[in-house]
Amino acid sequence: MIKKMLKSDDFKLKNCINYIFVAAATVIFAILNSTGGLKTSYANLLVQIGYSIILAVSLNLVVGFLGELSLGHAGFMCIGAYIGTFISIQLNTVIDSKVICLIISMLCGGILAAFFGFLVGLPALRLKGDYLAIVTLAFGEIVRTVLKNLPWFGKAMGMTTGAVKFTKKDAPLFIVVFITVIIVLFLVQSLVRSKHGRAITAIRDNEIAAKAMGINVTFYKLFVFVFAAFFAGVAGVFYGHYTTPVMYTFFSYNYSIEILVMVVLGGMGSINGSIIAATLITIINTMLQKYLPGELAALKFLIYALILIGLVIFNNAPKLAAFKEAVSFKALLAKLTAKKRRPEDILNDPAHWDKIPTKIRMDEVLSTDIQPGNEYVPDKPEKGGK
Amino acid sequence: MKKVLALILVAVLCLGCLAACGGTGDDTTTTTNGTTENNANAAYDLTKVGEYTANNTEFVIGATGPLTGDAASYGISVQQGAQLAIDEINAAGGLNGIKFKFDMKDDKATAADASTGYDALYEAGMQVSLGSVTSGSAESFATRAAEDEVFALTPSASADPVINASNYSFRVCFGDPDNGILSAEKLAKEYKNIGAIYDSSDPYSTGIYDAFKAKMKELGVTYLEQSFDAENNRDFSTQIEALKDCDVIFLPIYYTEAGLIAKTCVAKGCDAFLFGCDGLDGVAAQIDSTVTNKISYITPFDVNSEDEKVSAFVKAYEAKYNAKPDQFAADGYDAVYAIFEAMKALGVENVKVDPAELGKALVSVFTADTFAYGGVTGNMKWIASGACNKEPIIVEIN
Amino acid sequence: MSILFDGLSLGAIYALIALGYTMVYGIAKMLNFAHGDIIMVGAYAFYVALISSGHMALGIVVAVIFCTVMGMVVEKVAYKPLRGASPLAVLITAIGVSYLLQSISQLVFGADPKVVTIPSLGTVSLLGASISVSSIITLLIGAVIMAGLTVFVKKTRTGRAMVAVSEDKGAAMLMGINVDKIITITFAIGSALAACASVFYLMQIPSVEPTLGSMPGIKAFTAAVIGGIGSIPGAMIGGVLLGVIEKICLSIPVLSPYTTAVEFSLLIVILLVRPIGILGKKRREKV
Repeated sequence: MIKKMLKSDDFKLKNCINYIFVAAATVIFAILNSTGGLKTSYANLLVQIGYSIILAVSLNLVVGFLGELSLGHAGFMCIGAYIGTFISIQLNTVIDSKVICLIISMLCGGILAAFFGFLVGLPALRLKGDYLAIVTLAFGEIVRTVLKNLPWFGKAMGMTTGAVKFTKKDAPLFIVVFITVIIVLFLVQSLVRSKHGRAITAIRDNEIAAKAMGINVTFYKLFVFVFAAFFAGVAGVFYGHYTTPVMYTFFSYNYSIEILVMVVLGGMGSINGSIIAATLITIINTMLQKYLPGELAALKFLIYALILIGLVIFNNAPKLAAFKEAVSFKALLAKLTAKKRRPEDILNDPAHWDKIPTKIRMDEVLSTDIQPGNEYVPDKPEKGGK
Repeated sequence: MKKVLALILVAVLCLGCLAACGGTGDDTTTTTNGTTENNANAAYDLTKVGEYTANNTEFVIGATGPLTGDAASYGISVQQGAQLAIDEINAAGGLNGIKFKFDMKDDKATAADASTGYDALYEAGMQVSLGSVTSGSAESFATRAAEDEVFALTPSASADPVINASNYSFRVCFGDPDNGILSAEKLAKEYKNIGAIYDSSDPYSTGIYDAFKAKMKELGVTYLEQSFDAENNRDFSTQIEALKDCDVIFLPIYYTEAGLIAKTCVAKGCDAFLFGCDGLDGVAAQIDSTVTNKISYITPFDVNSEDEKVSAFVKAYEAKYNAKPDQFAADGYDAVYAIFEAMKALGVENVKVDPAELGKALVSVFTADTFAYGGVTGNMKWIASGACNKEPIIVEIN
Repeated sequence: MSILFDGLSLGAIYALIALGYTMVYGIAKMLNFAHGDIIMVGAYAFYVALISSGHMALGIVVAVIFCTVMGMVVEKVAYKPLRGASPLAVLITAIGVSYLLQSISQLVFGADPKVVTIPSLGTVSLLGASISVSSIITLLIGAVIMAGLTVFVKKTRTGRAMVAVSEDKGAAMLMGINVDKIITITFAIGSALAACASVFYLMQIPSVEPTLGSMPGIKAFTAAVIGGIGSIPGAMIGGVLLGVIEKICLSIPVLSPYTTAVEFSLLIVILLVRPIGILGKKRREKV
């Protein structure tokens, strides 16, 4: 089957560059770790990067591909972390191996989170935009409030997970996390590049038109919510095995927003972007914590906020577009490789669909603020196109 | 359909690999929590140089605490108290001519950040630690510290899971259940109409309250219960309205909310006696002359005490930070001095001492019957579980 | 009865904040996550003015002016460059601004809560329950501001221009409305409302800290959505409803720890029944 997939037309090296990269990183760090060359702090940082990637990629599916704003991703993670790890602790009394406990609880935590994803997906069928956003936010807060008051999970003190937490003596957790990252990437990218993925992006671009085309909007919306919630739950289970205690404070809407920041900075609908942004943001946070002495801790937020505002304005400001074009490394690269870009390439990769030239850019015409110097100019053919 | 099948197959395969590769390194399962044994006779070698401490020129004491976010004021207090102690010790020549250095990393009161902070500190050469300030973070910190056998003496994390997390985890403050039981006994004996308000979002508050509730049930005393969630509600009118006719209201909460509750009492015309635990220390600065309710709390530290040690500490703290110290600052100050005294008793001379060896040595000192330390929060003695025994005093305001 | 009054006065604060939220959302079409932090800044401004001068009125004026100027500056620096960019990018910037304001105020004032001493206005007894005068004033002022805003939006040129911008930016521009200016004015009004809200907040909860704004901010956002985002009377109704529900939940000991969950469940239920909030306007969708 794999052979068949390799042979098929849609196999391209570009499409799997991220697996290769993540796999290579896993192998390199695993070797480093076994020779003792990897400090514990880096191994732990890798775990954090790993679960951040899982969270960002799965949220990207909802926000970037389905086009629904979700502010409750930390809520699904919270379910995975509390209930999944709870299951793992129970299992640990029967099964000795922490890794097997982890894998079973990962599936359980994921499925439970997916169930709640289904529940949250239901209002998504009726609500739009910011109304859905506040419902997801509300969901995250409800989950947190309920879990922190239940006596089985240690109430406000949080749930002690010392029994299943991975310590130095265990197999390195980051290897398990990174293998999961590869699986997640594979599943998500296969979904996105399939006809189902195209249906999902069609819903994003225009729901009514998609419905008219015969796409089952109900099914796909629910499906994406369930799918994303599953992986958020898995990430939560990792969190529970990475640190103790599992405490409700971590899963506030602020954390949902942090995941959203990763998605937006990485570029909506860009899986590789999410991976890079998740990695960078996790590293920036850790480094700021590591190198700022206690008295300057408040500066950390300040620096983080400035980086955030600066990056978003630089990336998105319409007025900076020309400047960005001039200094962009990507544009330079694109110029050099312009001949290789065929329309089919763009057509096959939904992440690039915004580049498809259309005869009339209807949306743009309708929404442009007409100002001197900003008059409507008819579409020019793309430079690289034939 | 075929594709779906393929996907499932691949997933199962990967999971299989995962289980196989993970299983190999997993033959030693250790549980760190549970009973604490007495390590008094453990052998240690204080001349050993640690992996990350080879470049140390000072003894490094590390800690994490909330320096930003909702709980920031507690973390900053501990940090300032500890730093004051370090400065004093250094000014007096340090230990055997070796100075001390204190570093606190921000953990925003979350477990994951406490763990990251621990890594950063440990690899920067930390030899002994003050654990963390809030209970959840302190449990996380203590669990990580146990892996490296680093000694952790938390100034303020009072929940029991913190000291249960490892043999190397000790505390300076009272334990939550002790506070609750003590309060229940006192209130049940002296008052009739009792009310209680607790914070359902805070481990400190729920810890004390649960013990209080159990004790009251045991004593057969009924009382009125109200709660709030400090993250979401800061308006206490409903709670005070419900407890308006009580003679006494038990407040197992922190001073910020207690100040607001006292002011709400004034607005609602409720003149009940407000009684709390050590978290209430600092409430004097949160209320003004309009508050006429009698307030008192069980605490090891009284900022207005005539005691020579305390007044010297308060004076030095005010000179340095231009503010009165609270109980968190006092705990941080005492924690540093307790460690200093223990290291002095051990006669540590090696500035590059291995944290694990120092940890073992400190555990043996702290659990020894002969070791006691008289600080600004009273005379302290430690037991093997990590709990600290000291005399509570009752401070009254108004 | 007294629970109802307590709920009303808390709800009035939520409503005041929600009015600012709903204005900015309705016209600029952005979720201003930094709105709660503008309240925090207003509270600090009020606190500083109060301890340095001792006059309540001066404190209010300083808070309102400071917040208005700051709202406009924030809008110019952080949001204006993103006009025309995706709403999500603006949302993220708003979050960045929120972090920025919190960390700056922690650096300036420290993390420990500062107590604000506001002279108590006493209580009156009504229908067998005692209510503080400040909560009655809060309610009255809330109603006055709501009425004022409604009149402003309906009757003045600027107000009508705001409605036009909120309906259709492009068309408004074609009609000769300076959209940029209107949005800046909206931010100024929203921030001034936040400053008012901060003073009333302090009357009931007299302590200021850097994270003061996040909780009321999110509650007010919820209130604005319950009432229908963009609707001025809706924000008022949503806020009061939320305040009353919160107080009722808190008064039942068993339910009390779950108050937040109950409030948000209510939000979800309302939205499921009326997906556009209680007074939201339905918009027809076109392909």
